[in-house]
Amino acid sequence: MIVSWDWLKQYVDLSMSIDELTDRLTLTGLNLEGVEKIDSDMAIDLEVTSNRPDCLGHIGVAREVAVLWEQELKKPAIDLKATGEKIDDLASVAVECPELCPRYTARVIRNVKIGPSPAWLADRLKSLGIAVINNVVDISNYVMMESGQPLHTFDFAKVSGQKIIVRHSQPGEKFTAINHQEYELAEGTCVIADDQHAIALAGVMGGADTEVSSQTTDLLIEAGDFAALSVRNTARRHNLQSPSSYRFERGVDPECIDWASRRCCQLILELAGGELADGAVDVAQPAEPRPTIKLRFTELPRILGIEVATEKVQKTLTDLGCKETHICDHCIKVIPPSWRADLTREIDLIEEVARIHGYEKIPEDAGVKMVASVRSLEDRVHDQVRNVLVAAGFDEAMTISAVDRKWVDVFRPWSTEEPLVVSTPVLRRADCLRQTLAPSLLSARRINETLSNSTIELFEIANVYLAQPGKLPDERRMLGISSGGGYSSVKGVVEAIVAAVAPGNQLEATLHDDKFFASGRGAQLSLAGRQIGVLGEVSPWGLDQFELRSGTTIAELNLDCLVEFAVPIRTVEPLSPYPPVGRDLNVVFDEEVRWAEVEKIVRTQGGDLLESVAFQEVYRDSKRLGSGKKSLLLSILLRSAEGTLTNEQADAIRDRMVADLSQQLGGELRA
Amino acid sequence: MALADFLASLDTLAQQARDAFASAGAAEALEAVRIEFLGAKSGHLRLVQKGLGKVDKSDKPAAGKRFNEVKTLIESAFNDAQQRLAGGGPSETLPFDVTLPGQAVRVGHLHPITQTIREMKDIMGRLGFTAVEGPEIEDDYHNFEALNIPLSHPARDPLDNFYLKCAERAAGDSATHPLLLRSQTSTVQIRVMEKTPPPVRIISLGRVYRPDTADATHYPMFHQIEGLLIDRGVTMADLKSVLRLFCQSYFGGDDQVHVRFRPSFFPFTEPSVEVDMNWQGGWMEMGGAGMVDPNVLRAVGYDPEEVTGFAFGLGVERICMRQHNITDIRALYQNDVRFLSQF
Repeated sequence: MIVSWDWLKQYVDLSMSIDELTDRLTLTGLNLEGVEKIDSDMAIDLEVTSNRPDCLGHIGVAREVAVLWEQELKKPAIDLKATGEKIDDLASVAVECPELCPRYTARVIRNVKIGPSPAWLADRLKSLGIAVINNVVDISNYVMMESGQPLHTFDFAKVSGQKIIVRHSQPGEKFTAINHQEYELAEGTCVIADDQHAIALAGVMGGADTEVSSQTTDLLIEAGDFAALSVRNTARRHNLQSPSSYRFERGVDPECIDWASRRCCQLILELAGGELADGAVDVAQPAEPRPTIKLRFTELPRILGIEVATEKVQKTLTDLGCKETHICDHCIKVIPPSWRADLTREIDLIEEVARIHGYEKIPEDAGVKMVASVRSLEDRVHDQVRNVLVAAGFDEAMTISAVDRKWVDVFRPWSTEEPLVVSTPVLRRADCLRQTLAPSLLSARRINETLSNSTIELFEIANVYLAQPGKLPDERRMLGISSGGGYSSVKGVVEAIVAAVAPGNQLEATLHDDKFFASGRGAQLSLAGRQIGVLGEVSPWGLDQFELRSGTTIAELNLDCLVEFAVPIRTVEPLSPYPPVGRDLNVVFDEEVRWAEVEKIVRTQGGDLLESVAFQEVYRDSKRLGSGKKSLLLSILLRSAEGTLTNEQADAIRDRMVADLSQQLGGELRA
Repeated sequence: MALADFLASLDTLAQQARDAFASAGAAEALEAVRIEFLGAKSGHLRLVQKGLGKVDKSDKPAAGKRFNEVKTLIESAFNDAQQRLAGGGPSETLPFDVTLPGQAVRVGHLHPITQTIREMKDIMGRLGFTAVEGPEIEDDYHNFEALNIPLSHPARDPLDNFYLKCAERAAGDSATHPLLLRSQTSTVQIRVMEKTPPPVRIISLGRVYRPDTADATHYPMFHQIEGLLIDRGVTMADLKSVLRLFCQSYFGGDDQVHVRFRPSFFPFTEPSVEVDMNWQGGWMEMGGAGMVDPNVLRAVGYDPEEVTGFAFGLGVERICMRQHNITDIRALYQNDVRFLSQF
């Protein structure tokens, strides 16, 4: 709402400076957006929250100033002389949809002379940035910006049948607005019509046919109230937001409607001449009585934390226009003014008292009670995971939660169900809520490739969304990784995460065939038999989907699942004081034998004495080992808690391991 | 084998060899270390050399060059150790440049939004607020109705929200609640209050979504952190004090930090205020706050005559961007590693 300093002065004394005025208004509910000097005037842009439509006119803002500076509000007096015929002989109004139009008033003025507005009127509108058209149109804009009540003037001669009908639009009905664009009206739109067709979109915009022009002589002045939701839908659907629709969407003062109509007529008679028809057509639904609201004085400190003197409470509420109906030691009862539909409850009055009394009076050093807070296990685990990844050289990415439809089928590790779809894309074509983080990370990877960034090591912790019939979707917290390294380097990172979060758990990998992974280089990951993630080098086909130039390995882990394995409190094992003994085993196996099988046998045989087993390398040589054979080199570290192991003991353990490997997996010790 | 992997294994080997030679205390031990690393048949260096054969052809020159450097390095480490054990002490003859850069260690970076949230959570944790999370896909009851936002409210307009398409409906008695990406994290507060009798002292945080066109200051997805304290006798003075403590902690413990309230309007709080803190001679907007509206308390089964409470919400991006001098919100979601590595 732009307020003119000069204009505001008409209704209230402005003895303060503009800074003082705007500072105080900012702190009491009308936030200053900016001040612009326009000729000798100043245009003050104030932000009006949606609950305060009473401040969408100069009188409303002046009322706030009057309350704050304890000044008198000077509202213009209206003295109207009707010299024309009786209005009922000239015009009629029928409201067919009272639920969309609680009130409609019309007045008629004949034989006006359309011409330019006088300078004072033109200046007022200029200060507000409103186009100056002609005296009649300018007056209706002026009265709207004065009172907050939108008005519309029709060229009455063009209103067919001298009849105003407020009704729903008919199917396929067309309408040409004053912007000279034709609109096909959405069904159920509230229109003002004559006996032929729609001549205005109720509360939104007038029509070209009945527009006031230089030839106009007779006027019908409309002032009414239209239902907020209907006005908003009409404005939205036809993309026709106007100062009028803005005000009806927020609600107008029911008792100001007639005042604004009379004020408009007064100014027209003054500036454009003519004869005012006697009386007004006023079609109104019975207004709902305004409630009496009780404010208990004890509620003020209970909510605000400070006491406010009873006299101050009483004065604030009555200054704001409330009618006091009762006051005693305990409470005050008031009926709020017609322009404050937002005041219906005790808490509403408390807010009024607080803002006028001043929020600066509320202390900022209250002794707030001390209580313990708890960090969730999830939070701790997520931090552990982040710490490992940062230490391993990964940068944390953040990507949007939706993806393009074309990426949904590329890789589906968690679901083959249809994705959840948003009615409008979140960004560009991304309207599918993602079921995996991989596409988002690969797209971030591509951006980095385009930027010629050489090292691209990314991870993200975020949700994936899986539909569940009849329930809120299943949101799972995932860790996604995309690295320039190969399978084993990323597997090492995943193993480090498991070791950090859930020590003692063994990550198991099983070969996983997926078009998205290079052949033989993708795996399902599990902990204790539960699938916890996937890992693999992306296949050339997969890279193509994201137009990636160089290879990447991705991993995705279900962190909700990992949390279930978390060991939040660590307990120490007693440490053996005796030295370890190391042994290397070089064993030849058939190609099909997996490391995991070898390791399991070694661990079983090693028992408590085996401190660690480490894979060293795999060696293939068809001449020396035979085709389809490989040699695995592994190192074991043995240690006893009871004493120093001798070489003989260590050799014996190694030999038993070799024997088991030979028996169970066909392994042969390599000389 | 990827070149990066091969080079990494070389670096590890060089480091291990240097350490081993340097710590060999006798001729016998030195010989063992020599065999371990330089042994002709199965010394580590020999094994790594085999790996050279598996490097992609195009990477061979680079890999070979580095291999030779490492080989020279290990051999010189052996020579040094030999001389040292022969009574010469550490080699003083080989030149060494102490100004050469150290061996690079690649450390990653947490996203600035994560860092901001961590800091906020830490501070609020110290002030007794437990962090909670909730679903990002909500039904309109939790996103609107329970928050005192009636059907006629403009905030519920389909054009201002990401409603889900199709027949996705939440369960419950009224199986007709449409689902949407939450537009605020207050939804989590409702879910917590529905399950927990007062007192409640939480912060809820996470992603929220609004259909804004992406530009320098808007993005359709952003983060919120919202605090809620419900108990007997909670007042606006408590709200102001908690926010001041938060600002003091976040911006450096200065007791010259003050907060001020400006009246505002939110459906789920009353009175509602905008919160500013003093900053570089002026006031900086921190977020919105207020006393929880009695309708909201009633909607979750609390008695507004028994308990009162406050709620506040801070925009994570705004605070993060101001602190780190980020001028375009889109930079936060582009994931350019050069951007990320500055945090």
